[in-house]
Amino acid sequence: MLASSRGFPRATFARMSPQMRLKAIWLLPPAAWFVVFLLVPYLITATYSFGHMQSYRYVPGFSLANYARIFTTAPYSGAIAQSAEIGLLTAVFSSILAYPVAMVMAFRVTRAAARSALYLLVILPWWASYLVKAYAWKTILGPHGILNSLLLSLHVVESPITILLYNTASVVLTLTYIFTPFAVLSIYASLERIPASLLEAAEDLGAGGMEIFWRIILPLSVPGLLAGGVITFALGFGDFVAPALLGGADTLMISTIMINLLGVANDRPLASAIGIIIVILAFLLIGVMGWAERRVTVRI
Amino acid sequence: MPPAIELVGISKDFTGHVRAVDDVSLAIEAGHLVCLLGSSGCGKTTLLRIIAGLESPSSGRIMLEGRDITDLPARERNMRMMFQDYALFPHMSVAENIAFGLTIGPARRRLPKADIQARVERYLDMVQLGPQRDRKPHALSGGQRQRVALARALATEPPVVLFDEPLGSLDAGMRRSMQGELRQIHAELGKTFVFVTHDQEEALSMSDRIGVMSGGRLLQYGSPEDVYKRPESRFVAQFLGRSNFLAATVQTAEPGVARLALLNASCIVAGRADLHPGQRVTVMFRANHAVPAGSAPPGALHVEGLATQRRYFGDYAEHTLRLASGEQVFLQTPPDAAIVDGMLRMAVPAARLNVLVD
Repeated sequence: MLASSRGFPRATFARMSPQMRLKAIWLLPPAAWFVVFLLVPYLITATYSFGHMQSYRYVPGFSLANYARIFTTAPYSGAIAQSAEIGLLTAVFSSILAYPVAMVMAFRVTRAAARSALYLLVILPWWASYLVKAYAWKTILGPHGILNSLLLSLHVVESPITILLYNTASVVLTLTYIFTPFAVLSIYASLERIPASLLEAAEDLGAGGMEIFWRIILPLSVPGLLAGGVITFALGFGDFVAPALLGGADTLMISTIMINLLGVANDRPLASAIGIIIVILAFLLIGVMGWAERRVTVRI
Repeated sequence: MPPAIELVGISKDFTGHVRAVDDVSLAIEAGHLVCLLGSSGCGKTTLLRIIAGLESPSSGRIMLEGRDITDLPARERNMRMMFQDYALFPHMSVAENIAFGLTIGPARRRLPKADIQARVERYLDMVQLGPQRDRKPHALSGGQRQRVALARALATEPPVVLFDEPLGSLDAGMRRSMQGELRQIHAELGKTFVFVTHDQEEALSMSDRIGVMSGGRLLQYGSPEDVYKRPESRFVAQFLGRSNFLAATVQTAEPGVARLALLNASCIVAGRADLHPGQRVTVMFRANHAVPAGSAPPGALHVEGLATQRRYFGDYAEHTLRLASGEQVFLQTPPDAAIVDGMLRMAVPAARLNVLVD
């Protein structure tokens, strides 16, 4: 159906039944969107990644030198590792925080109105700008922030402490705060699908609350946990604002490097190579999660 | 021996709703297979859930083998329930589902591993699911799932097993064979089974006792024959079988014999203490108890009317008759019953007439 391949699709189209043709026509816009705004940019990026810069000019080529540089240069590979670490911590803490909230929403709150209200509370933070929320944590954790004022007034500390801000912990804290709603909704979606009769059956067979949780609820919510984990990991991995605002000198994330490479160093081929590596990592992650989900997911 | 289950004045009010269960008292004998029968919304499922402990009664007490269990949570009551949707654990295999009830609670109270294994084997065999032991529920047919649910409920060997419309989602053929199997399992195990069903045929063919429910009340409790032959109320008569009701007046009431006036005739029926002359009563009889007028025994009630509709069922036909009194009755006749000038004449033996005092 693409302009590049002419005769063949037209012949196929002619042989289609009217219903099939209608489906093909409906599929065309999303397919075109996918190709123009996803596939083509990836291909362009991939092409760039094989070239190099010479006297501030891009020279096309076919060399893996950029990739070799990324894996052998500590700041680059280290940044990917640190991004992954922060993404992972964000995913873990978000899931731990989100699970009880999702449990309450799915099982404890039975009135529809109360459930809607809780749902609204969970997504309410999204009405505020991401930047504002990141800044808010900066004010909370800063030397003259709310937390320090509190500690000072309680005479827990004599002078403002600075260890609260500009480190990996403050970045993870902020990212967890911002992305937890994604985990809540994803876990809630899988908990909500567990029929009440399963919990009743477990109780009827003699199971107590903890046994019902470990043996029925948790296993059946793994798909939601995985989905929430992937989303929060990806968002934490690629985040730029939180590390820039709250990260310390030792917090070097991949997004920061990208900005520098594109904006300051003007090394587009190297930035493209990093981009391609991230895309490959993302596909690997999705593949592993998909495999894990197929192994544990059951039809309810 | 105390009754397996005894309910004393059980009521249940749901907030904002009408009374779901209304003052039900009932003693279920150990080893009986009991059906709670009624149409949807009659409170039978709520009553079953109260017995199971999944719902707490607003008032009344529940005894299990003479012990008050009203305040015990479901998991501590020694009974198991088979759920209408089976409620199989989708992430566990058939064997794991059956073993679930045996592998919970503190380890010291559990059976040794080998015994659990043996128990699971036994119940897999009983429901003939040995070859499917490692399958997940979604890979089973409806009938097989139903068997897993049954085996899971039986595996902990509780004295009482509760069934919420256990055969509701099976097709007619499966239903019949499962009814037979359940009866056989019941006979083998000798446990108390309590069923909830809306299917009168199922209730009649399977139970030792039937409890007919309507509007949250238990209208009648007795053996299938009792409930079918001697319904105590119009509702019970109507619910079990195709019934006809005719207005009648008591003419004489002697001990052992009573004479009723109905349909411009009089009829002698078995006397009852609660009948007295001049009293207006209702006479009930079943559509299938009519016989051709020519072969009626003496003393039978002759029913003659305008045949307004005929439905053919193969072995018999069912006619709707409009009587001279304006009343309407349904009669089953041989398929070739003669209709002369639009009129059909049948008779109901006096022994088939039931007097209801409303």
